Amino acid sequence: MATSSPLLSAEGLTKRYGDTLALDALDLSIAPGEVYCLLGANGAGKSTTINCFLDFVRPDGGVAKIGGQVVAQHPLETKKRLAYIPETVMLYGNLSGLENLEYFATLATGARPATEELVAHLITAGLRDDQIRQRVGGYSKGMRQKVGIAIALAKRADVLLLDEPTSGLDPKASNEFHRLLGLLRERGAAVLMATHDLFRAKESGTRIGIMKAGRKVAELRADEIGHADLEKLYLTHMHD
Amino acid sequence: MIREIARKEFRELTRDGRFRLSAGIVGGLLLVASLAGFTAWREQAAQRDAAQNSMQALWFGQPAKNPHSAAHYGLWAFKPQLPLSFIDRGVDPYVGTASWLEAHRQNEFRFRPAMDATAAQRFGDWTAAAVLQHLVPLLIIVLAFGAFAGERERGTLRQLASLGVPTRALMTGKALGVAAALALLLIPVAVVGSALVLNAMGADGLLRLAAMTAVYLAYFGVVLGATLLVSAKARTARAALVVLLAAWAVNGIVAPRLAADVARMAHPTPTAREFTAEVQTALANGIDGHSPASARGKTLEDSLLKAYNVAKVEELPFNFNGFAMQRGEEHGNEVFDHYFDELWSTYAAQDRSQLLGAVASPLIAVRFLSMGIAGTDAAQHRAFATSAENYRRELNKKMNDAIAENAGAGQAFTYQADETLWRSLEPFTYEAPGLGSVWRTHLVSAVVLLLWMGLVAVLTRRSTSLAVV
Ligand SMILES: Nc1ncnc2c1ncn2[C@@H]1O[C@H](COP(=O)(O)OP(=O)(O)OP(=O)(O)O)[C@@H](O)[C@H]1O
Ligand SMILES: [Mg+2]
Repeated sequence: MATSSPLLSAEGLTKRYGDTLALDALDLSIAPGEVYCLLGANGAGKSTTINCFLDFVRPDGGVAKIGGQVVAQHPLETKKRLAYIPETVMLYGNLSGLENLEYFATLATGARPATEELVAHLITAGLRDDQIRQRVGGYSKGMRQKVGIAIALAKRADVLLLDEPTSGLDPKASNEFHRLLGLLRERGAAVLMATHDLFRAKESGTRIGIMKAGRKVAELRADEIGHADLEKLYLTHMHD
Repeated sequence: MIREIARKEFRELTRDGRFRLSAGIVGGLLLVASLAGFTAWREQAAQRDAAQNSMQALWFGQPAKNPHSAAHYGLWAFKPQLPLSFIDRGVDPYVGTASWLEAHRQNEFRFRPAMDATAAQRFGDWTAAAVLQHLVPLLIIVLAFGAFAGERERGTLRQLASLGVPTRALMTGKALGVAAALALLLIPVAVVGSALVLNAMGADGLLRLAAMTAVYLAYFGVVLGATLLVSAKARTARAALVVLLAAWAVNGIVAPRLAADVARMAHPTPTAREFTAEVQTALANGIDGHSPASARGKTLEDSLLKAYNVAKVEELPFNFNGFAMQRGEEHGNEVFDHYFDELWSTYAAQDRSQLLGAVASPLIAVRFLSMGIAGTDAAQHRAFATSAENYRRELNKKMNDAIAENAGAGQAFTYQADETLWRSLEPFTYEAPGLGSVWRTHLVSAVVLLLWMGLVAVLTRRSTSLAVV
């Protein structure tokens, strides 16, 4: 139900691991301003989908496109506009949060941003003033995810690939994270988020897709359905 | 971008306690080895000068005596050692640095510390070259084995790979970062080394030091590039480390040993005893084995009598014994030339075939270059030996000619010469071959090192994709 041309799209995306069909002709299309939540059991193929958009995995069939460009053919260009936040954002423990952000932001943009700007991003992402100069080795998981958000802000990413970004966060941290997500969406980003959190999917998603064994078995608008019905729908699909 | 990658790599390394410890140890060893080597070199140089002077004084101070006994009295020739030999002592401990020059024989070299040393001493004889050739590469491996594999294992490589940074930039940046951390350790040593060398031998020494620095930097570059390549391919940091340590052992120990053994088998040299025996036999029987000394003497006598148309040697216009002794000396020289040339050529052939091992071990090429630049390789030993031998021949000819010209008939061994004759022999001097001849000798080694650099550079530039998991 994209209103403008999609920023993210998968066309017949297929990936095989030996006998396992991790992705089975998956089609997806995500426009700017959309938060697409991908639900599905363990092993359904959510991470594989995201990895195809990152060129970490080469599909056996079909294409993943970012901004109309085929990822496998333009691995560097397509990455310029995306930000990736996995379950735990892995950072350099020897460096402070600010130094990590400075490093990733410089590498992503090709120029070193001003320190005040970076500090502002970290504050926006929810880190406290006294935390940003501490070494990341002592950061909690939630603090690491915040640095991940700050990287996305500094990079001015308009494509976000999130792989269970809030699993393991406490409810307040998770809430904060999704509030920030809303901020990025309002700025026109296209977000693809794999998650097991039906509640959050309904709350902050604009569209929801349910995957099973590499296929998309349902797709709906988040405002079309209530919490209870979503859970029912999900369980129905998981059962047969 | 590359600068940023290098900066971060450098910052992480220098904050790492393990780096500080290992770099401190290697840097300390290098400094101690250099300073100790330099002190030893300076003492030896002073001793050698003193010995050379007193020996020259003894030669000049000989009382009136028969020139032939003066030739037997003899002289020492000492090989002057370039200051850079304090970095790399090369073959000197094995072949010696002084030769006894006397009548009738080309002697082997003396002062071979390796012959007197116990096994423990030999092991403890850490020169700066040993640190540069073995420990610095080990340090590079320890610093860089995790550059990619470690990030892959910790998961930061995913974050890095999601940014859209070209792999080549990552490679270059990381290489520069590690290089900068190494420079922190090597620059102080290089400064101390330059100060010592400049103080000891001036501009030519600096040129050699620059050449040596270039050789070792190229070597470190190869090691660093190879380490990063392995790290980029390895799944885990531990796997990278295992592979790299194996490569380190092959490069530093296995391949050089194997190459040396194979070279010795392919081009065997006689033992010292066999060699001496062969030379003795040839001196007695002629190189062809069929002209014993007595027969040669008789032939000489007959031809002289005939040429001067006289009946007895006493009637010749010169002293026959003096003339015959010089002839004998010349025959000996032919024998020596023949056998020593053969020996030297075998050694050179061994060195050449050792270089085949450089396919697996760039260190083999580096060692030849390092010794060459330090002035302690086999070629420069040979150059000195040849020069000393020529001087010995000049000495003998002067003594024999003096007898032939001045001694009366039958007075070859009673005739006495004085200081004028001793002083007519210029003191022995030796000019070591220049840097140009070193490059010519070790051209193949230089090319091999360049090829290794090229190989690593090409492989690094070719690596475009990095597996993130
Ligand atoms: N590198 C791999 N090698 C072999 N099989 C793999 C590999 N990566 C994924 N798979 C398989 O592909 C299928 C999809 O895996 P994927 O990680 O995409 O699932 P997911 O939906 O992200 O699951 P989860 O909710 O547990 O994160 C699974 O059957 C998995 O076992
Ligand atoms: Mg997953």
